[in-house]
Amino acid sequence: MPAAGRTYWLTEPCRIRREDNSIRIERPDGSPVHIPITDIRDLIAFDHIDINTSALSLLSQNGITLHVLDHYGNHAGHFTPAQSMASATVVRRQVDITANPQQRLTISRSIVLATADNLRWSLDTDLLDPALDQLRTALPQCDSNDALMGQEGNLRRTAWAVLDTQLPPWLRLNGRTRRPPTNAGNAFISYLNSLVYARVLTALRSTPLHPAIGFLHSDTDRRRNTLALDLAEPFKPLFAERLLKRAAAQKHLKETDFETDVGRAALSRNGRKKIAALVKEELATTVYHRTLKRQVSYEELIHLEALKIVRLCLEEKTYKPFRPWW
Amino acid sequence: MFVILVYDTAVERNPKVLKTCRQYLHWTQRSVFQGELSTAQYRALLHTLETVIDADYDSIVTYTARSPIMMETNTLGVALGGPGDIL
Repeated sequence: MPAAGRTYWLTEPCRIRREDNSIRIERPDGSPVHIPITDIRDLIAFDHIDINTSALSLLSQNGITLHVLDHYGNHAGHFTPAQSMASATVVRRQVDITANPQQRLTISRSIVLATADNLRWSLDTDLLDPALDQLRTALPQCDSNDALMGQEGNLRRTAWAVLDTQLPPWLRLNGRTRRPPTNAGNAFISYLNSLVYARVLTALRSTPLHPAIGFLHSDTDRRRNTLALDLAEPFKPLFAERLLKRAAAQKHLKETDFETDVGRAALSRNGRKKIAALVKEELATTVYHRTLKRQVSYEELIHLEALKIVRLCLEEKTYKPFRPWW
Repeated sequence: MFVILVYDTAVERNPKVLKTCRQYLHWTQRSVFQGELSTAQYRALLHTLETVIDADYDSIVTYTARSPIMMETNTLGVALGGPGDIL
């Protein structure tokens, strides 16, 4: 993980300019803010930003990724510097492994199972156990990725229904909806999922892996970064579901933090700020890593996950998806 | 490491020093910067500053600590520094 640097969360409309080989951020209110270029790991734009090529080339020189989220919290895209970590050996091995249906299926299965366990862990209730047992018996019979994702979908539906029982009425999901999310709960989950995805992509940029060559998600129908989607799976319960539960329990989120319309919902400006603060704090949380024998932050856990795939490629070390051990 | 840097340089060299510091540290006050740096970045900053200043006249002082946690800060009056990393 890059030692120095922070993530900057741009929750208000602003203009990004280059000044003195560093970054100046101009906001409609208040004076411009100068950010030292060496202190930026990546930028996440929640709102309209205005940027020019000289600023982009400076970001590129310093290896900084700019993530753009759209109004409904979907990951609209990102600007990444020219690939500097490239390694043919790793990419070739990555292609080999994902091209082998047997190997690919084994890994996909472990990802689905880990995600399910993490969901159970984050919801912290017995209500999910029957569905989990069902998934466990069904998984070995699945012989294609579509079947695996179908099983995962079944569990997810149950899990969201269970999650609804732990939420106040106005924040309930009532069935997951996306593009656009229809209610406050869905909007929250959408934002969090995109943020986790963005973090995984940033982590993948620091490895030679190709983010488009993945295991679980199908990579033929659409152009997307399937590896990032795969690696984000086991982390989503840790952030999205758990933070939603916590924000509801602590009454941290208010109805006014969402702009609810008929059939669609998005976070308001203030809500975005709250979520950015929430996620920022969560990413900095540390736990004791038993093999590394030191404290690691959640942010670093995501990076370690990317390194596990590198080790799978180079050293044939079996990939064990992330499970919270605390 | 956490670095606090204060400079007292001749007027004509001030902009040069300011611009160099801006690449590495957060502006806190007129002629005061602070921020977290790696050892390599710290040395790079000091080296660049050395080439900019006139060693016979200007003065730059840095205070370093292991981490910002070791530092307790109080502000009286206006907080001139930036708003942090949620903008």
